[in-house]
Amino acid sequence: MAFVLLPVSLLLAALLLVPEVFGDFMAYQIGLYLIYGIAAQGIGFLWGKTGVLPLGQALFFGLAAYATAITLRGDSGLIIDLTLAVAVLAAIAVFAFVLAALIFRGRNESGPYFSLITLALVMIAEQIAGTATTLTGGFNGMSGYASLGNLDPFGGFYYVIVAATVAVSLLLLVLNRLPVNLIARAVADNEPRLQLLGFPTHVIKGAAFAFSALIAALAGGLFASHQGIVTPTSMGFGLSAEMVILTAVGGRFHVLGPLIGAVVVGWASAELRDSFPYWELLMAVAFILVVLKAPGGIAELLESGYRRVRPARPGKRSEPVTAPATKAVDAAGPLRFDDVRLKIGVVCILNGVSFETPPTGIVSIIGPNGAGKTSTLNTITGNRRTTGGRIALGSRRIDSRPPYRALRSGIGRKMQVPSVFFSMSVSQNLSIAMMANRARLVDLFRPSTFAWRSRSLSALLKNPSVPLQEELVQPVEHLPQGHRQFLEYAMTIAAEPRVLLLDEPCAGLSLEETALMTRLVRAFQAETGGLVIVIEHDMSIVEAISDKVLVMHLGQVLAFDTFDKVRVNPEVQAVYAGGTK
Amino acid sequence: MSSVLLLNLAWQISTLALVALGLAIVFGKLRIMNMAHGEFVMIGAYAPVITSSLGLPGWLQVPVCLLSVGLVAFVLERTIIRHLYGRMFDSLLATWGIAILLRETVELLFGRGYQSVTPPISGTLSLLGTEYPAYRIAVIAGIVLGFGALAWWNARSKVATRIKAMVGNPDLAEAVGINTARLSAGAFIFGCCTAGLAGLILAPTIRIEPMMGLDYLIRSFFALVVGGLGSLEGLGIGAGIIAGTQSVLGALANQTYGYLAVLTLSILFLWLKPDGIRSSTR
Repeated sequence: MAFVLLPVSLLLAALLLVPEVFGDFMAYQIGLYLIYGIAAQGIGFLWGKTGVLPLGQALFFGLAAYATAITLRGDSGLIIDLTLAVAVLAAIAVFAFVLAALIFRGRNESGPYFSLITLALVMIAEQIAGTATTLTGGFNGMSGYASLGNLDPFGGFYYVIVAATVAVSLLLLVLNRLPVNLIARAVADNEPRLQLLGFPTHVIKGAAFAFSALIAALAGGLFASHQGIVTPTSMGFGLSAEMVILTAVGGRFHVLGPLIGAVVVGWASAELRDSFPYWELLMAVAFILVVLKAPGGIAELLESGYRRVRPARPGKRSEPVTAPATKAVDAAGPLRFDDVRLKIGVVCILNGVSFETPPTGIVSIIGPNGAGKTSTLNTITGNRRTTGGRIALGSRRIDSRPPYRALRSGIGRKMQVPSVFFSMSVSQNLSIAMMANRARLVDLFRPSTFAWRSRSLSALLKNPSVPLQEELVQPVEHLPQGHRQFLEYAMTIAAEPRVLLLDEPCAGLSLEETALMTRLVRAFQAETGGLVIVIEHDMSIVEAISDKVLVMHLGQVLAFDTFDKVRVNPEVQAVYAGGTK
Repeated sequence: MSSVLLLNLAWQISTLALVALGLAIVFGKLRIMNMAHGEFVMIGAYAPVITSSLGLPGWLQVPVCLLSVGLVAFVLERTIIRHLYGRMFDSLLATWGIAILLRETVELLFGRGYQSVTPPISGTLSLLGTEYPAYRIAVIAGIVLGFGALAWWNARSKVATRIKAMVGNPDLAEAVGINTARLSAGAFIFGCCTAGLAGLILAPTIRIEPMMGLDYLIRSFFALVVGGLGSLEGLGIGAGIIAGTQSVLGALANQTYGYLAVLTLSILFLWLKPDGIRSSTR
């Protein structure tokens, strides 16, 4: 708790000292900067963690500001005002969630297009606010209403702003210590992997966007009450961009960064704007420098300075907790392809693939490059929508559903190039994998979830040949290729999928590591009695582990039989020996 | 549809295509989300202001425009933009900073007020049974010819292929003998210079001021999003749809509805069809 209480009490003490030391007018000004800072904290949360950059945050700020102005003008008493405020905040959060979830659905990146949509939305809002004169007062804005609870903006209202600042900071600091923080960061780090671990990333991004919108709206409500006037610029593109700049300069990866940015920039701008004509130039240069050289902003610089004085101590590792059982999956039975076709652009990748695996065992897929092996796995997990035919697991049809549902239907997948969360440590990667297919929503808000371990994952880590145990605190980007392969394998089996898809699990492994990997795969299959499908080029491995071998060539099944039968198949020999086929 | 409306439509579409051309290169090819694109248009528009304040003859406007825009673009590419290839979000933010920098610099040099310049060709021409400014007709004709020449050149030149190779895999492009530093700088400067020229051409028809770039940036971006990145046809289609919607609705209803319709259209495209109508890899 010291992590949370220390910065929050320091913040509170500093803010309470402002009116005493600098006087009421300064407190009034600082109050405005804090309001912008709160909105920027919301941007920092969204952008710093999930990687989604909102360019239209003033939309929510302004909506709430106008709603507050209209409510306060009604002069209907504090209780009704606050009830309406809660309703407006809820409505804005729902709107933001639906917007983001709809736009992100079916995608696995946060590209610039969402940012441009938020930009266009705020421009629409600004235009409407400027023209709908009867509702908003047009370009002159709305004014002439009392502040919330009739508090003096130059006096008592400052403490309302301080309370909001401290509350938002406290909430964000607490969230930082919870598993949901890890999930949010995982979205920015490797969204396709998170989807294959069963997380609906569009819902996560929608929730993060709604949360940031909520914070912006809270700030907007305070703004209307504090300033006593709301104009279209409060809902404008310029303010949105300004808040992004405050966030970036202050530091988007730290809770207090955007606050620091807003207060420092706001104060310096008020001091220098009139006396120093090059002030705006200086700001622009500082902003460019932050983007190029110091993406962590002021907060990151402060922290690295602090860390030089007091290096970070590794936190003590909590004792593992037995993880709850995986969610029940009624996926049993053979995997069946019926005339599956996949066409991307004008290229036909799969031309009618049909086969039926046994319900359990290990099936290897072999074939020359471009045969369609990885594409076959892509159609099973839903990373590619089929353009014809059907895929069924047991009696359930599974083609063309989104990848985040793959694990729920019992399918886990390891990618061809190890796909893990590269900015995180090994143990954080494993924590996320342990939540896959186990965590309920409430578990994401319990610190004990971090320590979840299943029996099979513990057994895998305890295996002295598996290199991960000593590397738990290491960031993944420092791991050699072979160790990443084992990490991704461990993450994939942690969710205990009934059907395990492995795409060249032994690529880049040494001889000993290859032997270890094949042992692990065989042991996993024997323990779970499930189905394992392996793409492999090394025939000695194929021979060692396969119950059946599926040979693909030019997007079709060439042969599907035991290894020995496949080996003597003349068509297969022709393909591999460079025959006529 | 009256012939004035038709000519206005041709004017709006052709000038938007010209303004967006530079962004089509810088954003479409180099993948730099250049938020300072409008500021290069603005600097170009100040070229006649510079020549007249220095008392230079009118024919020097073009070299002054190309020199000032080219120099600014060169310096910015070497110091800032070259760090941003392959970092789209960072390019958006850094060029936003550049936009502020350029606006403020111009404001310090020329002040915040409006400037205006006279067109080099005055008078009107009788066309389609109506009198229309001769300068605008000359500009429309010039843009059509220019785009024709560009399409002809684009179909034969390998520069676009080299740029694509460079953006896709800079190391490999270097290895096969492409001077990526020179190519990227060249493409960026060329894109900015076309924006500057567009500003120079538009200058006699608009009010020139430091903040004027934003509107051109927004409409160029949305034209590219709607039309699709990477091809001249896409650029033409996008400019047609954006400028067409805005001027037709602006004439039939009012400017606000035209503006709102363009924004709504852009949101729908960004959401449902982010690759635009015509997405080409060429």
